[in-house]
Amino acid sequence: MPMKLICTVKFVPDPDSLTAGPNRLILNPDDACALAFALAVKSGDPGVTVEAVTLGPLSVRPHMEDLLRLAVDRGTLIWDPGLEDSDAFVTSKVLSRYIAGRPCDCVLTGSYSLDGGSAQVPVQIAESLGLDQMPGVIRIDPDRFDPTRAVFQAVDETGVTTWEMAMPGVLSLTRESGYKLPYPALTDLRRDVSEDVNILTSRDLGFSADQVGRASSLTRVAGSSPVTYGEKDPKIVGTDDDGITQVVDFLKKKGVCR
Amino acid sequence: MKQTCIFQDTETPEKTTDLLAAAVRMYGRDGFESHVVLVNASPETFTGRFHHVIQVAEGLVADNDPRAITEILETLHQTHRFDSILIPGTTLGKMIAPRLAWRLKTGLATGVTDITVRDGRIEITRPAGSGTILETILPEGPGPVMMTIRTHAFEHPPEETVPTRISQYSRPVTTRSTLTRLGVEQNIIESRDIRDSEVLVAGGGGAARCFPALKPLADALNGAVAASRKLVDQGIARRHIQVGQSGKTVSPKVYLALGIHGSMQHLAGLRGAVSIIAVNTSLHAPICRLSDMVVQGDACEFIEKLMDKMMCNPHKNT
Repeated sequence: MPMKLICTVKFVPDPDSLTAGPNRLILNPDDACALAFALAVKSGDPGVTVEAVTLGPLSVRPHMEDLLRLAVDRGTLIWDPGLEDSDAFVTSKVLSRYIAGRPCDCVLTGSYSLDGGSAQVPVQIAESLGLDQMPGVIRIDPDRFDPTRAVFQAVDETGVTTWEMAMPGVLSLTRESGYKLPYPALTDLRRDVSEDVNILTSRDLGFSADQVGRASSLTRVAGSSPVTYGEKDPKIVGTDDDGITQVVDFLKKKGVCR
Repeated sequence: MKQTCIFQDTETPEKTTDLLAAAVRMYGRDGFESHVVLVNASPETFTGRFHHVIQVAEGLVADNDPRAITEILETLHQTHRFDSILIPGTTLGKMIAPRLAWRLKTGLATGVTDITVRDGRIEITRPAGSGTILETILPEGPGPVMMTIRTHAFEHPPEETVPTRISQYSRPVTTRSTLTRLGVEQNIIESRDIRDSEVLVAGGGGAARCFPALKPLADALNGAVAASRKLVDQGIARRHIQVGQSGKTVSPKVYLALGIHGSMQHLAGLRGAVSIIAVNTSLHAPICRLSDMVVQGDACEFIEKLMDKMMCNPHKNT
Protein backbone atom coordinates (compact mmCIF):
# COMPACT_ATOMS: atom_id res chain seq x y z
CA MET A 1 0.00 0.00 0.00
CA PRO A 2 1.43 3.44 -0.93
CA MET A 3 2.64 5.37 2.07
CA LYS A 4 1.38 8.68 3.37
CA LEU A 5 4.26 10.84 4.54
CA ILE A 6 4.06 14.09 6.48
CA CYS A 7 7.10 16.34 6.71
CA THR A 8 7.23 19.09 9.32
CA VAL A 9 9.33 21.95 7.99
CA LYS A 10 10.54 25.30 9.24
CA PHE A 11 11.87 28.32 7.42
CA VAL A 12 14.78 29.92 9.24
CA PRO A 13 17.03 32.95 8.72
CA ASP A 14 19.88 32.13 6.39
CA PRO A 15 23.02 32.26 8.53
CA ASP A 16 25.10 32.99 5.44
CA SER A 17 22.93 35.91 4.36
CA LEU A 18 24.96 39.06 3.97
CA THR A 19 22.04 41.43 3.59
CA ALA A 20 21.28 43.97 6.26
CA GLY A 21 17.86 44.04 7.87
CA PRO A 22 15.48 41.09 7.91
CA ASN A 23 17.35 37.96 6.99
CA ARG A 24 16.56 35.92 3.92
CA LEU A 25 14.66 32.77 4.88
CA ILE A 26 15.73 29.31 3.84
CA LEU A 27 14.24 25.89 4.41
CA ASN A 28 15.98 24.53 7.52
CA PRO A 29 18.73 22.24 6.11
CA ASP A 30 17.82 19.18 8.21
CA ASP A 31 14.15 19.60 7.25
CA ALA A 32 15.15 19.88 3.59
CA CYS A 33 16.84 16.48 3.86
CA ALA A 34 13.69 14.97 5.38
CA LEU A 35 11.55 16.38 2.61
CA ALA A 36 14.07 15.29 -0.03
CA PHE A 37 13.90 11.71 1.25
CA ALA A 38 10.09 11.80 1.15
CA LEU A 39 10.12 13.05 -2.43
CA ALA A 40 12.64 10.36 -3.38
CA VAL A 41 10.23 7.72 -2.03
CA LYS A 42 7.42 9.32 -4.03
CA SER A 43 9.48 9.36 -7.20
CA GLY A 44 9.85 5.60 -6.88
CA ASP A 45 6.16 5.07 -6.22
CA PRO A 46 3.78 7.69 -7.58
CA GLY A 47 1.07 6.43 -5.21
CA VAL A 48 2.98 7.83 -2.23
CA THR A 49 1.66 11.15 -0.95
CA VAL A 50 3.86 13.79 0.64
CA GLU A 51 2.58 16.63 2.75
CA ALA A 52 4.65 19.50 4.14
CA VAL A 53 3.33 21.33 7.17
CA THR A 54 4.81 24.37 8.84
CA LEU A 55 3.93 26.71 11.66
CA GLY A 56 5.12 30.17 10.75
CA PRO A 57 4.17 33.63 9.64
CA LEU A 58 2.30 34.26 6.39
CA SER A 59 5.53 35.58 4.90
CA VAL A 60 6.68 31.98 4.40
CA ARG A 61 3.76 31.30 2.05
CA PRO A 62 5.89 31.80 -1.12
CA HIS A 63 8.35 29.24 0.25
CA MET A 64 5.52 26.76 0.76
CA GLU A 65 4.44 27.42 -2.83
CA ASP A 66 7.97 26.51 -3.93
CA LEU A 67 7.60 23.16 -2.17
CA LEU A 68 4.36 22.48 -4.04
CA ARG A 69 6.32 23.02 -7.27
CA LEU A 70 8.65 20.20 -6.17
CA ALA A 71 5.83 17.62 -6.30
CA VAL A 72 4.77 17.98 -2.67
CA ASP A 73 1.10 16.96 -2.78
CA ARG A 74 -0.15 19.21 -0.02
CA GLY A 75 1.37 22.20 1.75
CA THR A 76 -0.14 23.43 4.98
CA LEU A 77 0.73 26.67 6.72
CA ILE A 78 -0.57 27.15 10.24
CA TRP A 79 -0.60 30.73 11.41
CA ASP A 80 -2.52 33.46 13.13
CA PRO A 81 -1.31 36.39 15.23
CA GLY A 82 -2.18 34.48 18.41
CA LEU A 83 0.56 31.99 17.62
CA GLU A 84 3.27 34.63 17.83
CA ASP A 85 5.83 34.03 20.60
CA SER A 86 4.82 30.37 20.93
CA ASP A 87 7.57 28.32 22.53
CA ALA A 88 8.55 24.79 21.53
CA PHE A 89 5.88 23.27 23.76
CA VAL A 90 3.07 25.19 22.04
CA THR A 91 4.57 24.53 18.61
CA SER A 92 4.58 20.80 19.41
CA LYS A 93 1.01 21.01 20.65
CA VAL A 94 -0.27 22.70 17.49
CA LEU A 95 1.63 20.51 15.03
CA SER A 96 0.68 17.34 16.91
CA ARG A 97 -3.00 18.16 16.79
CA TYR A 98 -2.80 18.84 13.08
CA ILE A 99 -0.93 15.59 12.36
CA ALA A 100 -3.29 13.61 14.61
CA GLY A 101 -6.10 14.66 12.29
CA ARG A 102 -4.26 13.40 9.22
CA PRO A 103 -3.19 9.82 9.91
CA CYS A 104 0.01 8.94 8.11
CA ASP A 105 2.59 6.18 7.93
CA CYS A 106 5.63 8.25 8.89
CA VAL A 107 6.38 11.76 10.11
CA LEU A 108 9.68 12.97 8.71
CA THR A 109 11.41 15.92 10.37
CA GLY A 110 14.81 17.51 10.70
CA SER A 111 16.86 16.81 13.81
CA TYR A 112 17.79 20.43 14.54
CA SER A 113 16.71 23.83 13.37
CA LEU A 114 19.40 26.38 12.65
CA ASP A 115 17.69 29.17 14.57
CA GLY A 116 16.51 27.60 17.82
CA GLY A 117 18.24 24.29 17.70
CA SER A 118 16.31 22.93 20.69
CA ALA A 119 15.41 19.68 18.87
CA GLN A 120 12.43 19.10 21.12
CA VAL A 121 9.50 19.56 18.73
CA PRO A 122 9.94 16.26 16.80
CA VAL A 123 10.26 14.34 20.09
CA GLN A 124 7.18 15.98 21.56
CA ILE A 125 5.17 15.33 18.41
CA ALA A 126 6.12 11.67 18.78
CA GLU A 127 5.23 11.65 22.48
CA SER A 128 1.90 13.33 21.81
CA LEU A 129 1.02 10.81 19.10
CA GLY A 130 2.31 7.82 21.09
CA LEU A 131 5.03 7.06 18.55
CA ASP A 132 8.72 6.24 18.56
CA GLN A 133 11.18 8.80 17.29
CA MET A 134 14.84 8.76 16.32
CA PRO A 135 17.09 11.78 15.74
CA GLY A 136 20.30 11.87 13.72
CA VAL A 137 19.00 9.72 10.87
CA ILE A 138 21.51 9.67 8.01
CA ARG A 139 20.08 6.94 5.80
CA ILE A 140 16.74 5.18 5.44
CA ASP A 141 16.74 1.87 3.59
CA PRO A 142 14.17 2.41 0.81
CA ASP A 143 13.61 -1.34 0.50
CA ARG A 144 12.72 -1.66 4.18
CA PHE A 145 10.59 1.45 4.55
CA ASP A 146 6.89 0.60 4.52
CA PRO A 147 3.73 1.21 6.58
CA THR A 148 4.82 -1.39 9.14
CA ARG A 149 8.50 -0.71 9.76
CA ALA A 150 11.55 1.36 8.82
CA VAL A 151 15.19 0.29 8.84
CA PHE A 152 17.62 3.17 9.00
CA GLN A 153 21.00 4.38 10.22
CA ALA A 154 21.43 7.09 12.81
CA VAL A 155 24.47 8.80 14.29
CA ASP A 156 25.05 9.44 17.96
CA GLU A 157 28.06 10.24 20.14
CA THR A 158 29.72 6.94 19.50
CA GLY A 159 29.08 6.16 15.88
CA VAL A 160 26.52 4.90 13.42
CA THR A 161 23.84 2.44 14.47
CA THR A 162 21.37 0.59 12.27
CA TRP A 163 17.89 0.49 13.78
CA GLU A 164 14.52 -0.99 12.99
CA MET A 165 11.47 0.90 14.21
CA ALA A 166 7.76 0.17 13.87
CA MET A 167 5.75 2.55 11.71
CA PRO A 168 4.00 4.89 12.11
CA GLY A 169 6.88 6.68 13.73
CA VAL A 170 8.88 9.89 13.60
CA LEU A 171 12.25 9.92 11.83
CA SER A 172 14.39 13.03 12.22
CA LEU A 173 17.07 13.43 9.59
CA THR A 174 20.32 15.40 9.60
CA ARG A 175 22.21 17.26 6.91
CA GLU A 176 24.79 14.50 7.01
CA SER A 177 22.26 12.28 5.24
CA GLY A 178 22.99 14.19 2.06
CA TYR A 179 19.45 13.82 0.68
CA LYS A 180 19.00 16.68 -1.78
CA LEU A 181 15.80 18.33 -2.89
CA PRO A 182 15.16 17.91 -6.60
CA TYR A 183 15.09 20.85 -8.97
CA PRO A 184 11.58 21.76 -10.11
CA ALA A 185 10.66 20.99 -13.69
CA LEU A 186 10.44 24.03 -15.93
CA THR A 187 6.69 23.55 -16.28
CA ASP A 188 6.33 23.41 -12.50
CA LEU A 189 8.36 26.58 -12.10
CA ARG A 190 5.68 28.40 -14.08
CA ARG A 191 2.77 26.70 -12.34
CA ASP A 192 0.47 29.02 -10.43
CA VAL A 193 0.08 27.44 -7.00
CA SER A 194 -0.78 30.63 -5.15
CA GLU A 195 -4.18 29.28 -4.13
CA ASP A 196 -2.97 25.79 -3.31
CA VAL A 197 -1.33 26.34 0.07
CA ASN A 198 -3.70 25.17 2.77
CA ILE A 199 -3.77 27.91 5.40
CA LEU A 200 -5.12 27.14 8.87
CA THR A 201 -5.40 29.09 12.10
CA SER A 202 -5.08 27.79 15.64
CA ARG A 203 -8.84 28.25 15.95
CA ASP A 204 -9.34 25.92 12.96
CA LEU A 205 -7.51 23.30 15.02
CA GLY A 206 -9.77 23.85 17.99
CA PHE A 207 -7.45 25.95 20.16
CA SER A 208 -8.69 28.89 22.16
CA ALA A 209 -6.65 32.07 22.43
CA ASP A 210 -5.30 31.16 25.87
CA GLN A 211 -4.06 27.78 24.68
CA VAL A 212 -1.48 29.11 22.22
CA GLY A 213 1.12 31.81 21.89
CA ARG A 214 2.76 33.58 24.77
CA ALA A 215 -0.15 32.85 27.14
CA SER A 216 0.32 29.11 26.96
CA SER A 217 4.10 28.94 26.62
CA LEU A 218 6.07 27.33 29.43
CA THR A 219 9.37 29.05 28.73
CA ARG A 220 10.10 32.65 27.83
CA VAL A 221 13.12 34.10 26.11
CA ALA A 222 13.96 37.03 28.37
CA GLY A 223 16.82 38.31 26.26
CA SER A 224 19.71 37.45 24.03
CA SER A 225 23.21 38.69 23.47
CA PRO A 226 25.79 38.07 20.78
CA VAL A 227 28.42 35.51 21.59
CA THR A 228 31.81 37.12 22.14
CA TYR A 229 35.17 35.46 22.24
CA GLY A 230 38.39 36.60 23.83
CA GLU A 231 40.57 37.78 20.97
CA LYS A 232 44.30 37.18 21.11
CA ASP A 233 47.32 38.71 19.46
CA PRO A 234 48.64 35.66 17.63
CA LYS A 235 52.20 35.04 16.61
CA ILE A 236 52.24 34.73 12.83
CA VAL A 237 54.60 32.37 11.08
CA GLY A 238 54.84 30.74 7.66
CA THR A 239 55.19 27.15 6.49
CA ASP A 240 58.94 27.53 5.97
CA ASP A 241 61.44 25.69 8.16
CA ASP A 242 61.57 28.50 10.70
CA GLY A 243 57.77 28.58 10.99
CA ILE A 244 57.48 24.83 11.46
CA THR A 245 60.26 24.91 14.08
CA GLN A 246 58.34 27.57 15.99
CA VAL A 247 55.20 25.41 15.91
CA VAL A 248 57.16 22.44 17.28
CA ASP A 249 58.62 24.66 20.00
CA PHE A 250 55.11 25.86 20.86
CA LEU A 251 53.85 22.28 21.07
CA LYS A 252 56.82 21.35 23.28
CA LYS A 253 56.10 24.30 25.54
CA LYS A 254 52.53 23.08 25.91
CA GLY A 255 53.80 19.65 26.82
CA VAL A 256 52.18 17.80 23.92
CA CYS A 257 55.36 17.26 21.93
CA ARG A 258 58.66 16.16 23.41
CA MET B 1 14.92 21.90 50.88
CA LYS B 2 14.75 21.71 47.08
CA GLN B 3 14.72 18.31 45.40
CA THR B 4 16.68 17.90 42.20
CA CYS B 5 16.66 14.82 39.99
CA ILE B 6 19.58 14.01 37.70
CA PHE B 7 19.40 11.31 35.06
CA GLN B 8 22.58 9.36 34.50
CA ASP B 9 24.86 10.22 31.58
CA THR B 10 24.69 6.91 29.77
CA GLU B 11 27.56 7.82 27.43
CA THR B 12 30.04 9.00 30.06
CA PRO B 13 28.72 7.90 33.48
CA GLU B 14 31.44 9.75 35.42
CA LYS B 15 30.21 13.04 33.91
CA THR B 16 26.84 12.61 35.64
CA THR B 17 28.23 14.15 38.81
CA ASP B 18 29.05 17.37 36.95
CA LEU B 19 25.33 18.08 36.68
CA LEU B 20 25.35 18.69 40.42
CA ALA B 21 27.11 21.97 39.60
CA ALA B 22 23.97 23.11 37.79
CA ALA B 23 21.90 22.38 40.90
CA VAL B 24 24.41 24.27 43.06
CA ARG B 25 23.98 27.30 40.76
CA MET B 26 20.22 27.20 41.32
CA TYR B 27 19.95 26.43 45.01
CA GLY B 28 23.37 26.91 46.58
CA ARG B 29 25.62 24.17 47.92
CA ASP B 30 23.40 23.19 50.84
CA GLY B 31 20.04 24.14 49.40
CA PHE B 32 19.00 20.90 47.79
CA GLU B 33 18.81 17.12 48.03
CA SER B 34 20.11 15.30 44.98
CA HIS B 35 18.58 12.20 43.40
CA VAL B 36 20.37 10.34 40.63
CA VAL B 37 18.52 7.79 38.50
CA LEU B 38 20.62 4.95 37.12
CA VAL B 39 19.74 2.49 34.37
CA ASN B 40 22.02 -0.53 34.06
CA ALA B 41 24.75 1.19 36.04
CA SER B 42 26.39 0.41 39.32
CA PRO B 43 25.62 2.75 42.24
CA GLU B 44 29.17 2.64 43.67
CA THR B 45 30.43 5.53 41.55
CA PHE B 46 27.67 7.78 42.84
CA THR B 47 27.70 6.81 46.49
CA GLY B 48 28.80 9.74 48.60
CA ARG B 49 28.13 12.22 45.80
CA PHE B 50 24.32 12.09 45.71
CA HIS B 51 21.87 11.99 48.61
CA HIS B 52 19.68 9.43 46.85
CA VAL B 53 20.73 6.85 44.28
CA ILE B 54 17.73 5.31 42.55
CA GLN B 55 18.76 2.22 40.67
CA VAL B 56 16.34 0.93 38.08
CA ALA B 57 16.07 -2.83 38.57
CA GLU B 58 18.31 -4.82 36.26
CA GLY B 59 16.50 -5.91 33.12
CA LEU B 60 13.47 -3.73 33.77
CA VAL B 61 14.20 -1.50 30.77
CA ALA B 62 16.74 -1.35 28.00
CA ASP B 63 19.21 1.48 28.49
CA ASN B 64 18.35 2.83 25.05
CA ASP B 65 14.57 2.90 25.46
CA PRO B 66 13.57 6.57 25.79
CA ARG B 67 9.87 5.87 26.23
CA ALA B 68 10.30 3.41 29.11
CA ILE B 69 12.85 5.66 30.83
CA THR B 70 10.51 8.63 30.43
CA GLU B 71 7.76 6.67 32.16
CA ILE B 72 10.08 5.82 35.06
CA LEU B 73 11.16 9.45 35.49
CA GLU B 74 7.53 10.59 35.37
CA THR B 75 6.58 8.07 38.05
CA LEU B 76 9.51 9.13 40.22
CA HIS B 77 8.47 12.77 39.87
CA GLN B 78 4.96 11.91 41.03
CA THR B 79 6.49 10.39 44.16
CA HIS B 80 9.23 12.92 44.93
CA ARG B 81 7.83 16.13 43.40
CA PHE B 82 11.19 17.29 42.10
CA ASP B 83 11.83 21.02 41.86
CA SER B 84 14.18 20.44 38.97
CA ILE B 85 15.05 17.63 36.59
CA LEU B 86 18.45 17.78 34.89
CA ILE B 87 19.26 15.53 31.96
CA PRO B 88 22.61 15.22 30.15
CA GLY B 89 22.55 16.59 26.61
CA THR B 90 23.42 13.22 25.08
CA THR B 91 21.47 11.69 22.21
CA LEU B 92 19.47 9.59 24.66
CA GLY B 93 18.98 12.57 26.97
CA LYS B 94 17.64 14.62 24.08
CA MET B 95 15.18 11.82 23.31
CA ILE B 96 13.97 11.59 26.90
CA ALA B 97 13.80 15.20 28.12
CA PRO B 98 11.20 16.54 25.63
CA ARG B 99 8.98 13.50 26.24
CA LEU B 100 9.17 13.98 29.99
CA ALA B 101 8.54 17.73 29.72
CA TRP B 102 5.51 16.98 27.56
CA ARG B 103 4.13 14.51 30.11
CA LEU B 104 4.76 16.86 33.02
CA LYS B 105 3.46 19.85 31.04
CA THR B 106 6.51 21.86 31.92
CA GLY B 107 8.95 23.95 29.90
CA LEU B 108 12.29 22.62 28.76
CA ALA B 109 15.52 24.50 28.13
CA THR B 110 17.93 22.50 25.99
CA GLY B 111 21.69 22.63 25.52
CA VAL B 112 22.13 24.70 28.67
CA THR B 113 25.58 26.17 29.24
CA ASP B 114 25.03 28.48 32.22
CA ILE B 115 22.58 29.19 35.04
CA THR B 116 22.24 32.24 37.24
CA VAL B 117 19.71 33.33 39.85
CA ARG B 118 18.58 36.94 39.72
CA ASP B 119 16.09 38.32 42.22
CA GLY B 120 15.14 34.78 43.13
CA ARG B 121 14.40 33.79 39.52
CA ILE B 122 16.33 31.11 37.73
CA GLU B 123 17.80 32.36 34.46
CA ILE B 124 19.03 29.73 32.04
CA THR B 125 21.54 30.43 29.29
CA ARG B 126 21.76 28.45 26.09
CA PRO B 127 23.34 29.06 22.68
CA ALA B 128 20.93 29.72 19.81
CA GLY B 129 20.97 31.17 16.33
CA SER B 130 23.55 28.68 15.09
CA GLY B 131 25.78 29.53 18.02
CA THR B 132 25.87 33.24 17.29
CA ILE B 133 23.78 34.34 20.25
CA LEU B 134 23.19 33.35 23.85
CA GLU B 135 19.56 33.22 24.89
CA THR B 136 18.36 33.78 28.42
CA ILE B 137 15.42 31.48 29.15
CA LEU B 138 13.00 31.92 32.02
CA PRO B 139 11.02 28.85 33.08
CA GLU B 140 7.32 29.67 33.49
CA GLY B 141 4.46 27.69 34.93
CA PRO B 142 4.18 25.47 37.98
CA GLY B 143 6.10 22.44 36.72
CA PRO B 144 9.62 21.45 37.69
CA VAL B 145 12.50 23.34 36.08
CA MET B 146 13.69 21.05 33.31
CA MET B 147 16.79 21.27 31.20
CA THR B 148 19.26 19.29 29.18
CA ILE B 149 22.82 20.24 30.02
CA ARG B 150 25.44 20.55 27.32
CA THR B 151 28.31 18.16 27.94
CA HIS B 152 31.33 19.83 29.55
CA ALA B 153 29.33 22.98 30.34
CA PHE B 154 29.62 22.42 34.09
CA GLU B 155 32.24 20.86 36.30
CA HIS B 156 31.53 19.71 39.81
CA PRO B 157 34.72 19.45 41.87
CA PRO B 158 35.15 16.51 44.21
CA GLU B 159 34.12 17.63 47.65
CA GLU B 160 33.16 16.20 50.99
CA THR B 161 30.90 13.24 50.69
CA VAL B 162 27.23 13.19 51.58
CA PRO B 163 25.28 10.34 53.16
CA THR B 164 23.71 8.31 50.37
CA ARG B 165 20.54 6.27 50.43
CA ILE B 166 20.29 3.63 47.71
CA SER B 167 16.91 2.41 46.55
CA GLN B 168 15.69 0.28 43.71
CA TYR B 169 12.97 1.10 41.20
CA SER B 170 11.12 -2.02 40.15
CA ARG B 171 7.59 -0.97 39.24
CA PRO B 172 6.38 -2.52 35.98
CA VAL B 173 6.84 -0.34 32.90
CA THR B 174 3.91 -0.12 30.51
CA THR B 175 5.37 1.99 27.68
CA ARG B 176 8.12 0.54 25.56
CA SER B 177 9.87 1.57 22.41
CA THR B 178 9.72 -0.58 19.29
CA LEU B 179 13.32 0.31 18.43
CA THR B 180 15.57 -2.65 17.72
CA ARG B 181 19.31 -2.21 17.29
CA LEU B 182 20.41 -4.21 14.25
CA GLY B 183 24.08 -3.26 14.12
CA VAL B 184 26.79 -0.81 15.05
CA GLU B 185 29.81 0.36 13.07
CA GLN B 186 32.47 -0.99 15.43
CA ASN B 187 35.38 0.91 13.98
CA ILE B 188 33.71 4.15 14.93
CA ILE B 189 32.66 2.99 18.36
CA GLU B 190 36.26 2.15 19.15
CA SER B 191 37.52 5.57 18.16
CA ARG B 192 38.38 8.12 20.78
CA ASP B 193 35.86 10.69 22.01
CA ILE B 194 37.15 14.10 20.94
CA ARG B 195 35.83 15.62 24.17
CA ASP B 196 38.32 13.60 26.17
CA SER B 197 41.38 14.46 24.12
CA GLU B 198 43.99 16.97 25.26
CA VAL B 199 45.13 17.53 21.68
CA LEU B 200 42.78 17.87 18.75
CA VAL B 201 43.94 17.98 15.15
CA ALA B 202 40.92 19.42 13.38
CA GLY B 203 40.35 19.77 9.66
CA GLY B 204 38.17 22.18 7.75
CA GLY B 205 37.56 22.93 4.08
CA GLY B 206 41.24 23.80 3.59
CA ALA B 207 42.24 20.31 4.68
CA ALA B 208 39.57 18.41 2.76
CA ARG B 209 41.94 16.98 0.15
CA CYS B 210 44.39 15.66 2.74
CA PHE B 211 42.01 14.75 5.57
CA PRO B 212 43.40 11.19 6.00
CA ALA B 213 46.79 12.78 6.79
CA LEU B 214 45.39 14.23 10.01
CA LYS B 215 45.30 10.84 11.70
CA PRO B 216 49.09 10.19 11.71
CA LEU B 217 49.65 13.73 12.98
CA ALA B 218 47.06 13.26 15.72
CA ASP B 219 48.69 9.92 16.64
CA ALA B 220 52.11 11.58 16.81
CA LEU B 221 50.74 14.16 19.22
CA ASN B 222 48.78 11.56 21.18
CA GLY B 223 45.63 13.37 20.16
CA ALA B 224 42.46 12.81 18.18
CA VAL B 225 41.10 13.97 14.84
CA ALA B 226 38.20 16.42 14.73
CA ALA B 227 36.44 18.22 11.89
CA SER B 228 34.37 21.24 11.02
CA ARG B 229 30.78 20.94 9.84
CA LYS B 230 31.88 21.59 6.29
CA LEU B 231 33.75 18.30 6.11
CA VAL B 232 30.87 16.46 7.76
CA ASP B 233 28.38 17.90 5.28
CA GLN B 234 30.69 16.88 2.44
CA GLY B 235 30.75 13.32 3.77
CA ILE B 236 34.51 13.47 4.39
CA ALA B 237 34.25 13.24 8.18
CA ARG B 238 31.73 11.62 10.50
CA ARG B 239 29.43 13.69 12.65
CA HIS B 240 30.71 12.25 15.93
CA ILE B 241 34.00 14.13 15.46
CA GLN B 242 32.35 17.43 14.50
CA VAL B 243 33.19 20.44 16.65
CA GLY B 244 30.74 23.31 16.96
CA GLN B 245 27.19 24.32 17.67
CA SER B 246 25.70 21.27 15.96
CA GLY B 247 28.62 19.08 16.99
CA LYS B 248 30.56 18.77 20.20
CA THR B 249 31.97 21.29 22.63
CA VAL B 250 35.62 20.50 23.25
CA SER B 251 38.20 21.72 25.72
CA PRO B 252 41.62 20.48 24.60
CA LYS B 253 44.93 21.83 25.81
CA VAL B 254 45.90 22.41 22.16
CA TYR B 255 43.57 22.74 19.17
CA LEU B 256 45.25 22.57 15.78
CA ALA B 257 42.79 24.16 13.34
CA LEU B 258 43.88 23.11 9.87
CA GLY B 259 42.16 24.95 7.06
CA ILE B 260 39.26 25.92 9.30
CA HIS B 261 37.70 29.29 8.57
CA GLY B 262 36.10 29.65 12.01
CA SER B 263 32.40 30.32 11.58
CA MET B 264 30.51 31.40 14.69
CA GLN B 265 28.96 27.94 14.77
CA HIS B 266 32.38 26.30 14.87
CA LEU B 267 33.77 28.70 17.45
CA ALA B 268 30.78 27.91 19.69
CA GLY B 269 32.31 24.50 20.28
CA LEU B 270 35.74 25.88 21.09
CA ARG B 271 35.07 27.94 24.16
CA GLY B 272 37.05 25.59 26.37
CA ALA B 273 40.14 25.30 24.14
CA VAL B 274 43.23 26.52 26.00
CA SER B 275 45.54 27.16 23.04
CA ILE B 276 44.78 27.31 19.34
CA ILE B 277 47.17 27.04 16.43
CA ALA B 278 45.46 28.03 13.19
CA VAL B 279 46.83 27.09 9.80
CA ASN B 280 45.15 29.11 7.12
CA THR B 281 45.97 30.77 3.83
CA SER B 282 44.10 33.87 4.99
CA LEU B 283 45.06 35.85 8.05
CA HIS B 284 41.54 37.29 7.95
CA ALA B 285 39.84 33.98 8.78
CA PRO B 286 37.91 34.52 12.04
CA ILE B 287 39.71 31.68 13.77
CA CYS B 288 43.01 33.55 13.47
CA ARG B 289 41.83 36.23 15.89
CA LEU B 290 41.31 33.64 18.60
CA SER B 291 44.57 31.80 18.02
CA ASP B 292 47.84 31.88 19.91
CA MET B 293 49.77 31.13 16.75
CA VAL B 294 48.82 31.45 13.10
CA VAL B 295 50.64 29.61 10.38
CA GLN B 296 49.91 31.38 7.13
CA GLY B 297 49.90 28.77 4.42
CA ASP B 298 48.39 25.64 3.00
CA ALA B 299 47.14 23.17 5.61
CA CYS B 300 48.17 20.07 3.67
CA GLU B 301 51.68 21.37 3.10
CA PHE B 302 51.89 22.23 6.80
CA ILE B 303 50.92 18.70 7.88
CA GLU B 304 53.60 17.18 5.67
CA LYS B 305 56.31 19.53 6.91
CA LEU B 306 55.34 19.22 10.56
CA MET B 307 55.38 15.43 10.32
CA ASP B 308 58.81 15.55 8.67
CA LYS B 309 60.13 17.85 11.38
CA MET B 310 58.77 15.65 14.14
CA MET B 311 60.16 12.49 12.53
CA CYS B 312 63.60 14.14 12.33
CA ASN B 313 63.42 15.10 15.95
CA PRO B 314 65.49 12.57 17.92
CA HIS B 315 63.09 13.10 20.83
CA LYS B 316 60.05 12.31 18.75
CA ASN B 317 56.84 11.45 20.49
CA THR B 318 56.05 8.03 21.71
